[in-house]
Amino acid sequence: MDLRDFEADNSVSCRLSSPVPDVCRTEDCCLGIDEAGRGPVLGPMVYGICFCPVSRKENLKNLKVADSKTLSEAERENLFLKLDKAKGFVGWALQILSPNTISTSMLQRVKYNLNALSHDAAIGLVQYALDCGVQLKEVFVDTVGPAEKYEEKLSQRFPGVKVTVRPKADSLFPIVSAASICAKVARDHAVKDWKFTEDLGRVDTDYGSGYPNDPKTKSWLLKYLDPVFGYPQFVRFSWSTAQTLLDSKAVPVHWDDDEEDGEKAAARQNNTSVLSYFSRSKPAGNTHTRETHRFFTERRLQSIDTL
Amino acid sequence: MAMNSCVTVVQLGSGTQVHQSEVHLLPCDIEHDGAAQVAEFFTPTVKERKHEKTVSFRGRGLKGQEVTHPQGYTGLVLKEVQKPSSDQEDRVVKVSSVFHNFTYWNLETPPTSDDRVMMSMAWPKLAEMMRAPVED
Amino acid sequence: MTTKKKRSAHTSNDSWVVIAADSALDKTKLDDGDPTFIRLRNPATGAASQYLFSRGDVRLYEVKAFVEDFHSWFIDQTVQRDGRLLYVTPMDPLFLLLPYLQSGAVEGKFQPLQQIVMDEDYPGCTRMLKCTQALDTLQHVADEKVVGSQKFHRYSQEKTMDWLKKKVLNTVSALKKSDISVGGGVKSTTYVRVKQETDVTEEDYLRYAHGLISEYISEDLSKDLHKHLQLPEISSPKEVEPPSKKRKLSDKPVEAGEDYTKFNSADFARKPPKKMTAAQKTLAKVDKTGMKSMSSFFSPKVKQEIK
Repeated sequence: MDLRDFEADNSVSCRLSSPVPDVCRTEDCCLGIDEAGRGPVLGPMVYGICFCPVSRKENLKNLKVADSKTLSEAERENLFLKLDKAKGFVGWALQILSPNTISTSMLQRVKYNLNALSHDAAIGLVQYALDCGVQLKEVFVDTVGPAEKYEEKLSQRFPGVKVTVRPKADSLFPIVSAASICAKVARDHAVKDWKFTEDLGRVDTDYGSGYPNDPKTKSWLLKYLDPVFGYPQFVRFSWSTAQTLLDSKAVPVHWDDDEEDGEKAAARQNNTSVLSYFSRSKPAGNTHTRETHRFFTERRLQSIDTL
Repeated sequence: MAMNSCVTVVQLGSGTQVHQSEVHLLPCDIEHDGAAQVAEFFTPTVKERKHEKTVSFRGRGLKGQEVTHPQGYTGLVLKEVQKPSSDQEDRVVKVSSVFHNFTYWNLETPPTSDDRVMMSMAWPKLAEMMRAPVED
Repeated sequence: MTTKKKRSAHTSNDSWVVIAADSALDKTKLDDGDPTFIRLRNPATGAASQYLFSRGDVRLYEVKAFVEDFHSWFIDQTVQRDGRLLYVTPMDPLFLLLPYLQSGAVEGKFQPLQQIVMDEDYPGCTRMLKCTQALDTLQHVADEKVVGSQKFHRYSQEKTMDWLKKKVLNTVSALKKSDISVGGGVKSTTYVRVKQETDVTEEDYLRYAHGLISEYISEDLSKDLHKHLQLPEISSPKEVEPPSKKRKLSDKPVEAGEDYTKFNSADFARKPPKKMTAAQKTLAKVDKTGMKSMSSFFSPKVKQEIK
């Protein structure tokens, strides 16, 4: 799998895809969606779709694709090669959500949570298939959340397509298994060959599974914690594992939308300036204070009595 | 307030070339004074796309813009040479480096001319005019 | 965000980020002595403010700080927590001398400057006696007598008013060349810039410039200057509420200073001054429909008084 497009800038989200088989533009198709790397504190989360004509479902089954989680990394690689060989009737596309995208979205001023992020990635991929002319009739989705609501959301978004959202869909429907293999292979590669944008010299790549409970992952997180910057962009800052470590080992950083400081920020919005505690007009003696001209207040400029 | 601590002398180096600093103004309060691996963690991750600089700090997305100082003005970083041992002594600072522009970073929104710090750049020019002696 | 530590107070600094006029730190002659930050009596507030003398005290600069909450600096490979940006800009030293001249004027006698410029709270003020720009321009604010080799001075209110008026007019022309919004087009923190008014009057400029110059003179002088400029008197002391109260009442972030008072124009329209100045005539003709929205900036109390 060629991840160069993603590696060119692994701080953002990136789409990778196979060519669309001609037959998918003329025949009714089914499409499976699955994700890889939702839980880990490290690396990207990858959303994958795989599609083929409904009439070729049996051929796909014969490739012996199965839920990627039950397979070894080598088996997944192998199956991905098989899927690649079946490109006459199987197509795939991936949305790689970089860990930086995940962090900055989840920690955004207006929070963009992981579910919304996942749903949008899935919807984007289905739309992509439609835009490529794939004759979509059936969509199968694996989910971790409540299936009904998600199914309703997708059905509404894609009228004319029969949407089936099911927990464990990756072991029930070969097209979902195929999608999960594509996603997992991309995630494996991205993590294994992560190109650190930071200038960290040689980075120890023994970060384990990336799951917070993996001791290897834990010790890696401790080893690479920087007291000011926290972590390289490879780490999802929005994960509580990362947050907890930063809270105890890094220097505190405060933003104007922090909850604890939020009251002050709100006060500032109302212009009951927080700056009043810095204010130039500390009553010195009994001089009565005059209001500063708006040229200065608008520019947050003030006289100071000490450097 | 100790009266004598009100004098701070700026020691000017005798003609030696002063180092030029790379300077960023961050949209957060970092409870730290001292060393930081800016060149390792921050600078390499700054992306420039279509006049817009982006980066992230502690997992939060920032958007930045270069700010150039008003003409005739230079950015200076002053550092205390040593803490005075008593209130009676003058404080002494030196020009530890200079900078001719800096990058102003906003949390998530691109900086505009309405940002206070951008607006404050209008001050020196106005100050010059207000200082100018009047004609008889 | 998860649990956040409370913000610790920021203590003292040992480094500062400054934008300074090149002339301030330019050491042309070796015997000039180093530039010096010094605390002097702020002529407007009577409280302490930071100034800078350079070139052997010949030149005076003022220090203003850009202070906005939630900022820190990266300077090369360091963090400076204090996110202030200090501006060192040239200042007319006469402003600092005025209060001393004025207080000396009580006896109405001519005095040598050394006897006038004394301040036990701010011993550094005697440095102003070396400030050539101040000495060369003293005649703008004081009468002078030369007896033998000694010069004697006496504060002149008349001269001072003329000098301040010229200062205001200089400032007006500076404002006209700038893109500083002097009219009702107050910027709000929601970043909605009121369209640059095409109907900014001469009086708007005068008021704004008067407000700026008032940042450098006592409240009494500011009022005298207001009269001297023949700016319509429209605000009664009753309307001047303590800033904190005013801020709480208004939901819009206008730091009006005294400028907002022009929108109380209904007040002076009701009892017009006997003679209208050109500026007032212009103002009377101004289409006030656009100013309606400004009423939202007033506190309810002020609104009642307008009615």
